[in-house]
Amino acid sequence: MSERTYAARASSPPALYAAIAALTLGGGVASYFANGYQQYVIAMVAITAIVGVGLNVLLGLAGQLSLGHVGFYAIGAYACAILTTRYGWSFWIVLPLAGIAAAIAGALLAAPALRVRGPYLAMVTIAFGFVIEQSAAEMKSLTGGWNGIMNVPRPTFAGLAMDEFGIGVLALVLLAALLVLFARLRGGTWGLAMRATRDAEVASQSIGLALVTIRTVAFVISAFLAGIAGALFAILGNFVSPESFPFFQSITFLLVVLVGGAGTVLGPVAGAIVVVLLPEVLSFLAEYRLLFFGVLLLIVLWLVPEGIVGAIGRRLRAADARTPQSDENRVAAFLATDTSGSAPGSRDGLVVDGLAIAFGGTQAVNDVSLVAKPGEVTSIIGPNGAGKTTLLNLIGGFYRADRGSVVLDGVVLPKGTTYRIARAGIARTFQTTQLFARMTVLENVLIALRRGGLGGVREAVGQGADADATALGCALLAFAGYRGSIHRPAGELPHVDRRLVEIARALATRPRVLLLDEPAAGLGEGDTKRLGALLQRIAKRGVAVVIIEHDMNLVMGISDHIVALDAGRRLVAGTPADVRANDDVRAAYLGEGELAIARSAARSESSEIVLAVDGVDAGYGPLPVLSQIRLDVKRGELVALLGANGAGKSTLMRAIAGLHRPVRGRVLLLGREIALLPAHRIVRDGLTLVPEGRQVFSELSVVDNILMGALALDRRAAESEVERLIARFPILDPLRDRRAGLLSGGEQQMLAIARGLAARPKIVLLDEPSLGLAPAIVESLYRVLEQLRSEGTTILLVDQMARLALSIADRAYVIQSGRVVQQGSAEDVRNDAALEKAYLG
Amino acid sequence: MDLFVAALVTGVGLGSMYGLLALGFYVTYAVSSTVNFAQGSTMMLGAVMGFTFGVTLGLPWIVAILLALVACVVWGVVVEAIGVRPFARRGSDLWLMATVALGLILENVVLFTFGKDPRGMPQSALTAEAFSVGGLRVSLLQVTIPVVGLAIAFALHVLTRHTRSGKSMLAIVQNPDAARLMGIDVRAAIVGAYAVSGLFAGIAGLLIAPLFTVSSSMGTLFGIKAFAVAILGGIGNPWGVVLAGLIYGSAESLITATFGSTYTQILTFGLVIVALALRPDGLFGRAGVKKV
Repeated sequence: MSERTYAARASSPPALYAAIAALTLGGGVASYFANGYQQYVIAMVAITAIVGVGLNVLLGLAGQLSLGHVGFYAIGAYACAILTTRYGWSFWIVLPLAGIAAAIAGALLAAPALRVRGPYLAMVTIAFGFVIEQSAAEMKSLTGGWNGIMNVPRPTFAGLAMDEFGIGVLALVLLAALLVLFARLRGGTWGLAMRATRDAEVASQSIGLALVTIRTVAFVISAFLAGIAGALFAILGNFVSPESFPFFQSITFLLVVLVGGAGTVLGPVAGAIVVVLLPEVLSFLAEYRLLFFGVLLLIVLWLVPEGIVGAIGRRLRAADARTPQSDENRVAAFLATDTSGSAPGSRDGLVVDGLAIAFGGTQAVNDVSLVAKPGEVTSIIGPNGAGKTTLLNLIGGFYRADRGSVVLDGVVLPKGTTYRIARAGIARTFQTTQLFARMTVLENVLIALRRGGLGGVREAVGQGADADATALGCALLAFAGYRGSIHRPAGELPHVDRRLVEIARALATRPRVLLLDEPAAGLGEGDTKRLGALLQRIAKRGVAVVIIEHDMNLVMGISDHIVALDAGRRLVAGTPADVRANDDVRAAYLGEGELAIARSAARSESSEIVLAVDGVDAGYGPLPVLSQIRLDVKRGELVALLGANGAGKSTLMRAIAGLHRPVRGRVLLLGREIALLPAHRIVRDGLTLVPEGRQVFSELSVVDNILMGALALDRRAAESEVERLIARFPILDPLRDRRAGLLSGGEQQMLAIARGLAARPKIVLLDEPSLGLAPAIVESLYRVLEQLRSEGTTILLVDQMARLALSIADRAYVIQSGRVVQQGSAEDVRNDAALEKAYLG
Repeated sequence: MDLFVAALVTGVGLGSMYGLLALGFYVTYAVSSTVNFAQGSTMMLGAVMGFTFGVTLGLPWIVAILLALVACVVWGVVVEAIGVRPFARRGSDLWLMATVALGLILENVVLFTFGKDPRGMPQSALTAEAFSVGGLRVSLLQVTIPVVGLAIAFALHVLTRHTRSGKSMLAIVQNPDAARLMGIDVRAAIVGAYAVSGLFAGIAGLLIAPLFTVSSSMGTLFGIKAFAVAILGGIGNPWGVVLAGLIYGSAESLITATFGSTYTQILTFGLVIVALALRPDGLFGRAGVKKV
């Protein structure tokens, strides 16, 4: 099958069009043979489905919840009623006008609505619905007040006045056309853009998408369709009054989309059938109708949450495992294309001059300047809290600088508007990957290729992704090193692949500058080497690559230029050799290079086993992750758990701590079986896990976070623990009352560890404590761990930095693919070839 | 001037009830980022149960009140178990619709058992005019209502900002897994929050019942306004919520007194939209930490 055919089929398969035609025909035929009342019901199904299609754009694609859509419906209905009865206009002119009137209201509402999120958005839309309903009731001269407007004339078609059948057919035909348009929209650039803004707001802006515009368009489209449906409703019933537009009707519209399946093409049809037809079918229940309605809805929500059509679609969808085709030449040509917007002849690259920003009294970045030349790799290094990510955010427009400028190839960039800066040629990746989780890998790259330029109406409902774009997207993915299926939902990808896809996505915007925030975090040695090679290849193509990294091997290995920051200022900038030799940098950041930890003498063998894991199996659903794990930790020991990424180390830690359930096998804590206990009970027995990834309570202060760790102690003991721990981690002292979410990554990590120690646990599990920490901080951290060990704390440690972990461990286990492949004293394991294989394999 | 004060008094009373109901939203949202969207129907349950036990069955008032509150607490727990947990657990937002469905079911069940006709609560010592405020006669009940509302807000504020268990409740919504690792029983906390939310709704219903008539539909609009109040108050702040309630109730009352009741809803809901447009985190809310 050719690329073009594949692309076309993927977005609007023939089966879908056939289904739409069948439904329309079926509805028409049914209406032909039905009596007047049944024809009315069929017409109502079609009309409700039309509202549903509009709401599907807003909710299913753009992810915005509206609880006030009855307002647009009412506007359309009243516009139609007023214009036809009072001014005698023809319905055929009024129909689009009704839609436009509602659309204007939608655009006006979008302004406040898009400034708010979640429940706040729900409230704004609810309020809107009420305002419209009440206005209709109160503006008597215009709307007839509670009495409404009667005798709305039926339009004529080919000389005859339309009856319920005619209006039903009209509605069905419109519905069919709208379903087709929705399918094209969903598969086209605007559909992709809306879904991107739904999945990851910040990331969508970082690839050039204008968030507000896109959401406003979604609002306007959904309002327009609701308005049209309202006009149809007006002529169907010949009567409009405020009673037809209560708050509950907005809920009904929402249910149409949810029950059918948000984001699916046929969902609104299925939903409308359920929501309109069912109460009719159940009319024999008379007054109990609403009650049954409620019960039925609850059952649908429980059992088929992705909606009826969504559930069917999932079953029918064939798994497609196409991997991307490599095409280096194409990528090279693509990245080298000269883009407009740079001053003529200028290829200065990125010139940052005197950037500064302060947050609540702290000067996070203070007069920082740097130059990143195209074709070079520039690394930004520095201790945690130095302002590296803040600097990146300033360049990328996420923050607005107080002072200073950013100039790209001679053109000054606007401040603080991420999407404009993205369009100017600056792309970025994030510390925690921000992929569009519900879109496929390929779709993630395809939308980025547009670089924010989504095209007009014709493009929006034109053919789906074109073959060229698909081929280019695949080439970029292959270039980045992604070897998996291009049609896999991005949210399902393992860690390494997420990073690669994010890089491919960033490259798709054809950037002149690529900013990467700790791209090697969480990668094993082999993957890190490949990443380094990739970054150099990207630079060779003419892009100015700027990375923040802590992995010194990587930094020294690939950088042409290094900028060192500390406490918001620039310490030094120069070649790797210059920076490495610089004394200030050494002191602040690099540390001694080799971990100079005096390892205390081996302590007398204790035989008491604190933690015993025996024959543990665990997995995610049918996917096995751990197999027959056996390990134990004796009192006072520091045991290291090593292995490459994806080997199962974190899963094992979570399984022991009670976050991952169920597990088969036995886990004994001081002889007590804990494999069946939930996490909050295990903590009380004296086992603490410091989880991977700095899981602090972002809205609580540093002190409160530590107090949370000591909930089991009484108040006075808890407070003295806080002091003790702050003394052990002095970096936290000046930050006592700061909200934890505002701390730098490394500071948060220290806080998480302090919090874990607060309850004076019998055994501490540490999952990747060195992740994202600067080398000097890692050293001090490991000094603390060694100190704890010499004080007799029992520790089970997982760390990517195997050699480091082994330097303070007593014993170690090596895990590969969910199994223990090696165990022994730290000395033995360190010298064993199996360790190398497990990491680099 | 008299009219103004009268309106203010009514407004403060109504507003504290909005605020109390809104505190129910706050409590569950603060712990789980979910709410019983049909909180108004729980309030209605409290009023209806109070009437049934106290008037229809003629039980002593203390007993009737207690039973009514128990019913509301139980209902709150039921809502969480079947309308929120199944969806929150899978990360879905459908609990919003599910709680609406439950509210619909409750309202209709009450409609069939309680009947369509609104009932009036009998007058008692509580409702008799006893005090003088600014030249106006007010009843004990009209004074009790704001006092109860403010007292509860105060208690919540102290609990969440100054006690460790209170802070641990807030910690849950910020990071449920980490909270579990601190020994916090997250599930029990969420169930507890819904129980408390039901309790607040029940109290509001019982306090309001003597002032209005009791019927199955008395809760819907009230609940929506309470939701508006919760949002305006910046749903993460108990004082803000109560204050917003007082402001909303007073605004409603004053607008009705000045312009007549026709434009009240249009203006108040219109003001809600404007207020949120200007202050997207609510009048008293604080933007959460946003990091990239």
